[in-house]
Amino acid sequence: MSAPFLLILRFGMTLSLYAFIGWAFLFLWRSFKLESELLATRKTPPLSLSYLNHKGQKKTKHFRNPEITLGRDPHSDIYLENETVSAHHARLAYHHGQWWLDDLGSTNGTTLNDDDVETPTIIINNDQIHCGKVPIKVYLAMADLSPTTQRI
Amino acid sequence: MMNIKRKSIGNHILHSKFNILHWLSALFLALYSLILSLSPAVQARNWDMEYIYANGHAHWLGFFAWLALSTLAEKNLKKNLPDRDRYLFPIASLLSGWGLLTIWRLTPTFGMRQTLWLTISITVLIIGIKWRNLLPSLRRYKYILLVSGLILTALTLIFGTNPLGIEPHLWLGFGGVYLQPSEPLKLLLVIYLSAYLATTSLQRQKAFPLIFPTLFLTGIALLLLLAQRDLGAASILIMLYASVLYLAIGRKRVLLINAASLILVALLGYFFINIIHTRLSIWISPWDDPSGSGYQIIQSLMAIANGGLWGRGIGIGSPTLVPVAHSDFIFTSLAEETGLVGTLGLLALLGIFLTRGMVTALRAPSRFTRLLSAGLTIYIGVQSLLIIGGNLRLLPLTGVTLPFISYGGSSLLTSYIALLLLLKISNEMEEPALLPKPQPYHFLYALLILGLFSSALLNGWWAIVRGPDLLTRTDNPRRALADLYVKRGTIFDRNNTPINISTPRSESLSPYPLEDERLDDDVFLRQYLYPNLSPIIGYTNPTYGQAGIELALDDYLRGLAGNPASLIWWHHLLYGQPPPGLDVRLSLDARLQEDVDQRLGEHRGAVVLVNAQSGEILVMASHPTFDASLLDESILKDDDSPLLNRATQGAYPLPQVNILEGLKSSKISTDLRIPVAKGSPAEVAMLASALSNGGIAPAPRLALAVNTPQSGWVILPALGETTELFPPAKSDFLVESFSTEERAYWQLVDASEEENTTWLLAGTPLNWQGTPLALVILLEENNVELAEEIAEILLGNPTE
Repeated sequence: MSAPFLLILRFGMTLSLYAFIGWAFLFLWRSFKLESELLATRKTPPLSLSYLNHKGQKKTKHFRNPEITLGRDPHSDIYLENETVSAHHARLAYHHGQWWLDDLGSTNGTTLNDDDVETPTIIINNDQIHCGKVPIKVYLAMADLSPTTQRI
Repeated sequence: MMNIKRKSIGNHILHSKFNILHWLSALFLALYSLILSLSPAVQARNWDMEYIYANGHAHWLGFFAWLALSTLAEKNLKKNLPDRDRYLFPIASLLSGWGLLTIWRLTPTFGMRQTLWLTISITVLIIGIKWRNLLPSLRRYKYILLVSGLILTALTLIFGTNPLGIEPHLWLGFGGVYLQPSEPLKLLLVIYLSAYLATTSLQRQKAFPLIFPTLFLTGIALLLLLAQRDLGAASILIMLYASVLYLAIGRKRVLLINAASLILVALLGYFFINIIHTRLSIWISPWDDPSGSGYQIIQSLMAIANGGLWGRGIGIGSPTLVPVAHSDFIFTSLAEETGLVGTLGLLALLGIFLTRGMVTALRAPSRFTRLLSAGLTIYIGVQSLLIIGGNLRLLPLTGVTLPFISYGGSSLLTSYIALLLLLKISNEMEEPALLPKPQPYHFLYALLILGLFSSALLNGWWAIVRGPDLLTRTDNPRRALADLYVKRGTIFDRNNTPINISTPRSESLSPYPLEDERLDDDVFLRQYLYPNLSPIIGYTNPTYGQAGIELALDDYLRGLAGNPASLIWWHHLLYGQPPPGLDVRLSLDARLQEDVDQRLGEHRGAVVLVNAQSGEILVMASHPTFDASLLDESILKDDDSPLLNRATQGAYPLPQVNILEGLKSSKISTDLRIPVAKGSPAEVAMLASALSNGGIAPAPRLALAVNTPQSGWVILPALGETTELFPPAKSDFLVESFSTEERAYWQLVDASEEENTTWLLAGTPLNWQGTPLALVILLEENNVELAEEIAEILLGNPTE
């Protein structure tokens, strides 16, 4: 009989449709997993900042968090007690695979290697930042950057 | 930048495996084509290769064209758009292949044309892939593009034609190629709106002056479409405008204002514009006029019901019964032949496509590309939902196409251009643009997915829950079709003489004047071997439906009752048809019947002869008669009403005899499976039976037995109950008073000059040793002589 044979073909046809949908969902799941794993391996490269505090002592702080605030506000990550520094003076942030320096509208301005910082600017190792008249030295451990960067 | 690399790595890992989607769709479509090629053998229920060779295999051309084109497109995409979204093209390609083969299956000439349009669409896609500055150019020339779209649409008002030569004139034709400008117009509007709104800062309070140009141009487009009475395109335009504006401005009031104005227009239209009124009232209550205005949607629902869960199989259903199955109702065709499993798959594919479209929008690097990709996704989604919802009676029916699937070159090309733009946008790997207000994206995406879910639920409702009821409706043309391919049961008289029989056309005894030339020689036709019985036995006719015993015992004759449920299910799954019908045996005696019919001749009247003990009706005649095999309009309009079964349906003034007085309030059972009127000869016959049977009226029977495959002939019991009508003494006294010396039976005659009727009641006498009989004759004329002559034939020399 032809009909039972065709029934098997019909079943196969439906099965191939659902195989298509199944594979599509499998791929969606895999790329979702892959993307989340890639995000998880992305770490903020450690950053060290050296500066002189109000007592004139040289201090070095190490950071692993992606955002660092600088200012005369005691809650700032880098607390600079100097009359040329505003309360919320500047910010260092890690995104797009780089550390960026941004002036937060301070009264006396921020400079990077003696250039005024007006827009967010990428910083690299050994850069010299001035918040008002306070100098800050940047140390970036290049060898410890995000592992995906290494595969380029 | 590092980000680019991150995504590229992700794609690269999955890259090689994505081809499997392409090959799975190729497998699906190859099986589709194979089933379509083999399906004629199922219709004929054999492996006769003649059937397979005799039918067209042209759809393989469509399949191979699809395979070549989509492989080519896949190659070009791989080379030129390496970072594109991986799901959009395989899904669109599967949908357009599925649509293409369905169109081949429905109408091969349209299939050929659609194959050419697919070639054009893929060519445009490949050219577009290589065109580097496509998106910036679209943005720059937004006004020129939209205005040319508007001009083309306006031209249809003057030069508009229709490829089919009917209304409405929505197409522009040049040299045999037809373009429906309202299709690209939707796309051009989305491009214009995204380009305009992307450059305008709308976050401020006074947005109205800024959106005024868009309102103006959309208004013109809308007026053009309304002037063409293209309601489907007009409603899509409004929804697209509202959506893109909402995405750009991010305020919910945009949507609310649009929804309110849409409802207002619908309400105004309902009361003042004819076409909107008709569409809406059909949507609200299609069952009021199932053969007129509600025909399309009811046929659509029946096709979906016929598909059921598993579908009837490619080439085995009857989707062409639904008007415009290849374009507006293509979803219905898919539902009938691939079933709920197929359409749920389709809705899932659409769901993935819309999801990937919205993801593309979120990842888009600029405001323009984000608005554009979201707008295009919403365009595909809204148009699909509008027509799928229309087919399922979720929404009022609007004549729009199902993107990628429906027949229509403009529609397919527009869908492919939308796909091209989505692919190009998804290939841009820069950092996503800022998204100040994500809510519009959430809301519109949720709305689309909700629409898909509602469609799936309603699809299940019609296919599974309401399916059986819809399929048994008498206006389901599939029943008449099944009669052609499945042998209907034979109706026998009590001595196994066939009365109505189904035979293959080649063996047909009488030529059919109404027969369809397209039918094969081995389809079954109903033969009416005893035409004089037509008013009683009735007919099964593809045009005029069913009547009489043919209607009353239809479930047995059609094989839907008396067969094991598993057999019925299996046949429905394999063929979409019931199993072979069962034979039934009636209580009529063809020999006696012939004697009566001959004598009654052209006289109008009815005769009923009953076995007074068992209630079996031996003779039932109604004159004038007709020949059920020659049924046509003239018989329906005949003033003599030959279709009327006078024995059961004729309500005549009763004879002025006091024993009949009680009949009006009596509880004689007259359930014959065919309707019996009060005061009809059949009912009076049961009263006469009581006189011949010692005062007890038996329950009447016309259908005696049905021949089941499992247990042979099975008795069909009488439906009524026996009733004691008179005490035996009274009955004996009455019979005594009606008997005379000259006759061997009792007889009561009442001829009325003024009513112009003759009644004759007769029966076997007291102390009769054989089978007691009762007879009722009614003539629509004053003719005692004829009545007595017939009584003499039937009761004069009893043989039993």
